[in-house]
Amino acid sequence: MDYFKDFKTRLKIAKSKLKNSSQDESEKNGSFMGFAFKLGTELVAAVIVGTIFGFILDSWFDTKPWFIIIFFFLGSAAGILNVIKTANRMQNKD
Amino acid sequence: MATNPMQQFSVHRIGPEIKLAGIDLSFTNASLFMAISAISIFVLFFLGTKEKKIIPSKIQLISEIFYNFIAKMISDTAGSKAKPYFPFIFCLFTFVLFCNMIGMIPYSFTVTSHIIVTLLLAVFIFIAVTVIGFIKHGFGYLKLFVPSGVPALLLPLITVIEIISYLSRPVSLSVRLFANMMAGHTMLKVFGGFVISLGLLGGWLPLSFSVALTGLEILVAFLQAYVFAILTCIYLNDALNLHH
Repeated sequence: MDYFKDFKTRLKIAKSKLKNSSQDESEKNGSFMGFAFKLGTELVAAVIVGTIFGFILDSWFDTKPWFIIIFFFLGSAAGILNVIKTANRMQNKD
Repeated sequence: MATNPMQQFSVHRIGPEIKLAGIDLSFTNASLFMAISAISIFVLFFLGTKEKKIIPSKIQLISEIFYNFIAKMISDTAGSKAKPYFPFIFCLFTFVLFCNMIGMIPYSFTVTSHIIVTLLLAVFIFIAVTVIGFIKHGFGYLKLFVPSGVPALLLPLITVIEIISYLSRPVSLSVRLFANMMAGHTMLKVFGGFVISLGLLGGWLPLSFSVALTGLEILVAFLQAYVFAILTCIYLNDALNLHH
């Protein structure tokens, strides 16, 4: 069985190759495209959550427009924060 | 032939009506396609791992590629601490991927184009990650909401913003998958409708568009499953390795 003889050495070489190799180009593009898809919804979702939060608080305390207005802006801030966090993560990946 | 582009998303009952304590538990086409994707995943990996050859057969190769892909993704984004959660993320990725891909077959039904399905998955991930965070760090997990180096005056404001940002995770996770799948399938159907209405003379342009869109949709189907899984890894990473 010639095939199995040098199997261990070939396995070692393959393992060391795996350690040294970085992500190849196409894989990198794929994950960046994934992050690009992420950015848009990230911004919108926080605004939606903030507004819903404000709406619930308003119906609890009976202060109709105020909490919605405050939490809309807080939600927008949270959305921008989300985008900044994602962008930071994308830069660290390089 | 159905000309309404939204008709493809309608859920209808298959077989008898089952009601349990006022809740409709009938078997629908959505449950059918979920079952089909679960069964096809099971069959693929059952056949792929049945014979463990050194020189793999094609089907074994496919399941090995799946395994390597997810294992690499987890170790890249969440580190070695996340290894115990491999089965969960593997199931999640394969289920979303198979639901998306089976939805690309004509006359089939896309389960992930319904927000209730994606929201359930996302809320489950959200709760699981929060529970894992509290188990690993106790009340120290709440430090996630209090970033260091912020002046005391701004701290309440920043904390509220951080909490909203944390709560927006399941919403953005579910809306992204649902919106991409629904928009893509609606667009395919609309272009298909153009082919019919423009007839033999002008129908060739929308036909070529819909061929191109089908390719794009297959890319999106894969990419959204990938994003769904990688975001789960990132959230797990936040819960396991707490540093701000």
